[in-house]
Amino acid sequence: MTQATKPRSREATKGTARQVAWLVVSLMTTAPVFVRGDDPAVLREMQDRFRRVAVELRPSLVRIETVGGTQPTRSVAPSAPEDTGENGEGLPKPKRTQSPFRDDVGSPFVLADGPTTGVVYSADGYIVTSSFNFAREPALITVTLSDGRRLAADLVARDQVRKIALLKVDATNLPAPHWADVSDIRVGQTTVALGLGFGADEPSIHVGIISALNRMRGNAVQTDAKLSPANYGGPLSDLHGRVLGICVPMAQRPGELAGVEMYDSGVGFALPRNRVDRIVADLMTGRSFHRGWLGMVVDPRAVNAVVISKVADPSPMKNAGLQAGDAIVAVDGRPVNHFGHLMQALYMLPAGESVIVQIKRGEAEFSATVTLARSDELGPLPALEEPFDPADPLPEPPPEENP
Amino acid sequence: MNRTLLQALLFLASTAPTLHAGGYERSLDVLLPRVVKLYGLGAGAQAGYGTGVMVSPDGLVLTVFSLLIDARRIRAVASDGTLYDAEVVKRDTQRQLALLRLRPPSTGANEQGAALTSLPHFDMQCKEAAAATMKVRPGDWVVVAGNPFKVAEGAEPMSVAHGVISARTRLDARRSVKEFPYHGDVLVVDAITSNPGAPGSAVVDLDGRLVGMIGREVVSNLTHTHFNYAMPRDVLCEFLLEASGDTTKTSEAERTETAPPTFDPGIRLTRTGYRKLPPMVERVRRGSSAERAGVRPDDLILTVNGKAIGDAEEYDDRLRALTPGEPVDVVIRRGRSIVSVRIEAEKNP
Repeated sequence: MTQATKPRSREATKGTARQVAWLVVSLMTTAPVFVRGDDPAVLREMQDRFRRVAVELRPSLVRIETVGGTQPTRSVAPSAPEDTGENGEGLPKPKRTQSPFRDDVGSPFVLADGPTTGVVYSADGYIVTSSFNFAREPALITVTLSDGRRLAADLVARDQVRKIALLKVDATNLPAPHWADVSDIRVGQTTVALGLGFGADEPSIHVGIISALNRMRGNAVQTDAKLSPANYGGPLSDLHGRVLGICVPMAQRPGELAGVEMYDSGVGFALPRNRVDRIVADLMTGRSFHRGWLGMVVDPRAVNAVVISKVADPSPMKNAGLQAGDAIVAVDGRPVNHFGHLMQALYMLPAGESVIVQIKRGEAEFSATVTLARSDELGPLPALEEPFDPADPLPEPPPEENP
Repeated sequence: MNRTLLQALLFLASTAPTLHAGGYERSLDVLLPRVVKLYGLGAGAQAGYGTGVMVSPDGLVLTVFSLLIDARRIRAVASDGTLYDAEVVKRDTQRQLALLRLRPPSTGANEQGAALTSLPHFDMQCKEAAAATMKVRPGDWVVVAGNPFKVAEGAEPMSVAHGVISARTRLDARRSVKEFPYHGDVLVVDAITSNPGAPGSAVVDLDGRLVGMIGREVVSNLTHTHFNYAMPRDVLCEFLLEASGDTTKTSEAERTETAPPTFDPGIRLTRTGYRKLPPMVERVRRGSSAERAGVRPDDLILTVNGKAIGDAEEYDDRLRALTPGEPVDVVIRRGRSIVSVRIEAEKNP
């Protein structure tokens, strides 16, 4: 009866109609009700652009598949060698599983088995993607190029903090995409995220805008395009097919999976070219980046202050001459007066980076340069010097994550 | 030109006072009268409410197969607020679709109303070749109307969402721990539609054409994320044609699942439950033609007769497509090297 599709000779009048529409649009720009996409011609223009972006970037996209590996556990035990000696009674000593310094994966997200996405970084076979895609520690990685060739790939190195990984395949003349200038990225500009994670040969298209710049300590741009395991490692593009960044999961806490729980939420992140270039230059030398640790435990009883209660030996804090009882006042000039502040100051810094810590010891204040270390570089914590006083007000266990 | 301009201006002027704005206006005018709110059986996490798409003037409503339709009384509320009872015409457990028929609302104590003849609906044109080939393209804007979280009550208009079609791909998903039975094509939708009440929502493009219907809530096996997708129009048509008895052919899925492979070279691939794995050789049967050809465990099969093999399922499909008696050329990755082997066909022992 009533009909959804009425045949119309649209094609013939399309060009003129579009001109008229644009004219009307330009006439109406002063009207307060007009917003982007409020005109069918504009919407059609946009959907053509989305498709063009997918077509232009497809040659630079690769499908990544992995075999083997396991779901990372919530807490990764330190890889330092364990003391397997025996004590006086001939009983085995308890294993060192109580170390508070464990590289937490940061999210209970269960990894899936599907393909993931990568972007050609250079013509000589380097592929940039998200380290998220290798959280399983797979035994074998293959890369399928846009021309259908499937190649074995080496994981050159990865950055578990900024969530970038670098692969290398034996291939030449790979088409690297054009990148947008970081200084040209504007809040509100349209974004298109592409990914191969849903299994189709053509990339899935997710559209949005740039929501904010300089997120995650200046490392990432934020977009409301739906980012998920389907496009982590893939490109976030502008409407001209220029790559704005590499899509990665991120959150304001450490952990390789941190931020995945925000998938499809409209809060997503991408690392722009200047960050990617800097990280990739390091990754190319084979250097991987891990979470950076200070190697200390803070006193949970301290109120409105971050007071060191124990320092591991060796540890960055010990090496810098800091000791129990010292209060951390600021990190890199950022005031710190509770544990959360400290975490926020450190979560984007991998081991090897240095921070300037402002310390208050008694009445004296001084600053120390502390170079963060990997969890497996940290020594044991000293035993408690005096037995616990049950009357001591310590109802809460120490915070799970200690910097 | 001048006349067109005038028309355009008039068009814009005429749209000003309506409820639907701008680019989606035409789609919404078509869309909203053609979806119904459904109420039926719910239990636990399964919502007792949903959405349906009207597909005939006499009251056929397309929706998803779910617990909802097992209710003793299924009720449907049209966009004008009219309350209908509905009965199940056809269930499709494989595609997870259902077809309902609205019954005329009773006008008095025991009276049945006049037969339904002129309800607004999407003309599916399933029998026409043009309808079967009409496909939406990735990147196309779509609007979706349905009743997620049943926020629309009574005659209130449905909730409308917008996005683009992200991709067309095959569904590989599950509901909690159970494998989802439908493995055919779906449209990935760049809008959050995986919500209770949303399955059965109509998806239309800028021309107001129905391009799909939101499917049941599932989690993708490939990404382990809640999957926002629609059953494409051509798949809906397959079901409608089956429901009307207009087709005798079995669906493609049934055909391929029942066909035995014509030739078994003796290779067993690594398989773990629902996981999609690249075709790694787990074991080679002793005395098999694959063993004679030099295939070894841990080989990764790259191509069979020149066609790239992505996973164990594709390997099975490829085997079924072989011509019996002809040798099979297989390219294998072994360690860092690429090896080509020819597996000679043999009479099955």
